[in-house]
Amino acid sequence: MPGEELRVGTGVGPYRLALRRLRRNVAALVAAVVFVGIVACCLCAPLYAHYVAHTGPLDNHETERVKVGGHIRDVVSLIGIPIGPTWHSHFLLGADFNGRDVAVRLLYGGRNSLIVGFSATAITMFAAVLIALFAGYYRGWIDSVLARMLDVIWAYPAILLGVAIGTSLSLGGISLGPLKISGDSLYIPALIIGFVNIPYVAKPIRGQVIALREKEFVDAARTLDAGGLRIMMTEILPNLSSTIVVLVPLMVANSILLEAGLSYLGAGVQPPNPSWGTMISDGVRLITTSPFLVLVPGVALVLTVLSINILGEAVRDALDPRAVTRTRR
Amino acid sequence: MKRTNPDRRHWTAAAAVLLLVVAVLTAAAVSARAASNHRSAGTSVTVDTSSPPNSIDPQSGYTVSAGETDWLVYTPLLTYAHESGVAGTKLIPGLATALPTVTNRGKTYTLKLRAGLKYSDGTPVLASDVKFAIQRAIKVNWGASSFLMPIAGAQAYLNGTASTISGITTNDATRTVTFNLTTAVGDFANVLAFPATSPVPQSTPMTVQTTQMPPGVGPYMFQNVVPNQSYEITKNPIFASFHIPGIPLGNIDTIKTVIVSNNTTEAEDVLANRVDAFDVGDAVPPALLGQIQSQAKGRFAKETVASTNYFFLNERLPPFNNILARQAAAYAIDRGALARLAGGFVAPSCYFIPVGIVGHPNAKCPYASPNIAKARALLKKAHLVGAKVSVYAMAKSPRQEEGQYYASALKQAGFNPQLKLIDPAIYWTTIGNAKTRAQTGMGGQFLDFPAPDDFLLLIDARNIHPVKSNNFGNVDDPWIQKRLIQLEAVPATKLQSIASQWAAVDEYQARKAYTIVWGSSQLVKFFSNRIDFSSAVFHPLFFDDYSTWKLTK
Repeated sequence: MPGEELRVGTGVGPYRLALRRLRRNVAALVAAVVFVGIVACCLCAPLYAHYVAHTGPLDNHETERVKVGGHIRDVVSLIGIPIGPTWHSHFLLGADFNGRDVAVRLLYGGRNSLIVGFSATAITMFAAVLIALFAGYYRGWIDSVLARMLDVIWAYPAILLGVAIGTSLSLGGISLGPLKISGDSLYIPALIIGFVNIPYVAKPIRGQVIALREKEFVDAARTLDAGGLRIMMTEILPNLSSTIVVLVPLMVANSILLEAGLSYLGAGVQPPNPSWGTMISDGVRLITTSPFLVLVPGVALVLTVLSINILGEAVRDALDPRAVTRTRR
Repeated sequence: MKRTNPDRRHWTAAAAVLLLVVAVLTAAAVSARAASNHRSAGTSVTVDTSSPPNSIDPQSGYTVSAGETDWLVYTPLLTYAHESGVAGTKLIPGLATALPTVTNRGKTYTLKLRAGLKYSDGTPVLASDVKFAIQRAIKVNWGASSFLMPIAGAQAYLNGTASTISGITTNDATRTVTFNLTTAVGDFANVLAFPATSPVPQSTPMTVQTTQMPPGVGPYMFQNVVPNQSYEITKNPIFASFHIPGIPLGNIDTIKTVIVSNNTTEAEDVLANRVDAFDVGDAVPPALLGQIQSQAKGRFAKETVASTNYFFLNERLPPFNNILARQAAAYAIDRGALARLAGGFVAPSCYFIPVGIVGHPNAKCPYASPNIAKARALLKKAHLVGAKVSVYAMAKSPRQEEGQYYASALKQAGFNPQLKLIDPAIYWTTIGNAKTRAQTGMGGQFLDFPAPDDFLLLIDARNIHPVKSNNFGNVDDPWIQKRLIQLEAVPATKLQSIASQWAAVDEYQARKAYTIVWGSSQLVKFFSNRIDFSSAVFHPLFFDDYSTWKLTK
């Protein structure tokens, strides 16, 4: 819009402008509220477990009984069918086959899923940007080697690669000199997901670096005898920031989904630790009698990923005026 | 008149062709599946299993599904009556002409092979093949090879200091086989009824076979073995000519076992009559139990079997080399909870020797009630709070849920458990490998023969091996060893007279918390409507007796 362009010209920074656009996007605001709400709930998991549900995420209550609507009921029946949602503080969303409180596990599981999602994204972004900078700036053999490495990872389906690495690491963990990570650590799925996602970020950023290295301001820096590392960090990297900001929420959503997929297949978060993927996997065998075991984590997963995706799209639109123009036509 | 756009017409035609192709391919796939399930209709059945055998090689197979088929392909010198209940535990001559002649105060067993026996490929059976088979079982680390160690020279053969087992003498001309034992073993005749001791040709490689099984002497023979996918047994055309009493010739021509990924699919397939039998070693998913009981009346039954489910605790590794840690783990367990996880298919118990087997203790369980506070106190006393523990469980339902329960219970007691879920196909070899250094995990034993030592072999120090060990917890207690050797010498016919002594051993190991026994399983007999349910024998040792199966009219 002409008015906006005018305001850009009058000294409003691109990020402030993007924030203004974002504020006017109702869907993005709703998504942000939902996402922040989910994150806040998950962060409060220990408080809910301690003060409301009075049980932990790994505590079994199989042989216990609970009062629901004036009736005493088994948490898990004699043939192994767990109680459904009670809508009370105890077993608000029901129990799983081990008599564990689904609501407590949902919050702890969300925490684990978010930790894995954000950690994996951090790993992906760090490694991908570094690879893209070196490959795109130096070109030549460095580019050839790095690009082929990315091609190799790219050529392997992400979920299969994740399962292959996850299954082997979940048993033995990682032991590389001083670096020791046990097989049930959340860092294992974070590392795996972070690793398999690298090409999806590195490839587009590399293309952008190749275009940027030919720009006049980079030539000018070279003329002033600036070294390659300095040019990459002070001239090229700042110009990649908007791309990185757009990619981050999309990668977080992607990582959370991949974590759920790997955990479902037994190669992500290791039971009995909860994650939404493991909760869905655990619930499948009782889906006909206790569908809430799959529905509850499934809905949480959908809401989280949907809200991050809508937010990510909105950030992209806000940072890319041409995209806004397109949507307004 | 309305005209059709030619481009659109092409698209419509293309879509129609595509639909036709999809329909044809779908129909072909459906008929192919039907054909594979019911090949040569009326003479073949399909069994689904989500608990694949550890091996179907006769000298290596030891798990439930291995026994079910190996029993019918490889008849040993002695075998069991093909009957349900107690009648099925009766020893009868198999390839031998009669039950063994026992001399030398219970240390010499002599048997004679029937005349004219041939393997399924036509090769004549020699008495020396029996010796070869037993040597092969030791060489390939058969899971119960400790039962063979009383044979003179077996230990030297195992150690590699002898090239042959001196205690087995054979005469091919007279068809006699003589076993000389270092000590009297009361139930050695039962050992000779394991399919692992059945003869195989001496040209069979001394390695575990995965695709080409050696020929055997039995009503059936293996064919089309695809490792980790499926295997078939088909009727052995020459077996009927041997006229061995008590061994049925089989009614169904081909029995195909297909390995499936989960027991829910397996149960649904049998319920819908897409597959003919649910493997007896698998658990019925609780979610389907009600549906099965209502919709499969007359083709579903619970069968109680003598079995033991337990958690092993590795005595050779911390923290379970400390009795306080073992007791803490025992106090953390709620057997009632584990029974519910098994969908009601487990009767809680705390002793190794199950109900119905001579020697089952009647004493009160030493750690019967779950007591987390006491468990924590014991662990604190041992300065082991937060001790890391690797917990091994099978990655299949309900084993993995039981594993999760166990890991959570250990966590509540103050341990720092890490659950390791292992594929069922490699579970036993993984925990039975000393290099795995499994600290604790799930174990289970079904009845091999009706004697208490069949269960206590799991805490017998002679059964600790570098690979394929059955004593997963490396229990090596001199008091237990001394009594095991004494009690094993008593002939099977006098078993009842020493029942209290067997019970004492079991009570002792329970007090020491060497293992945490938590229940005895109930198994299911569950068929499609193609199999005649009433005539199918549920054998107390080998469970589904395929040789008694008949198709319904």
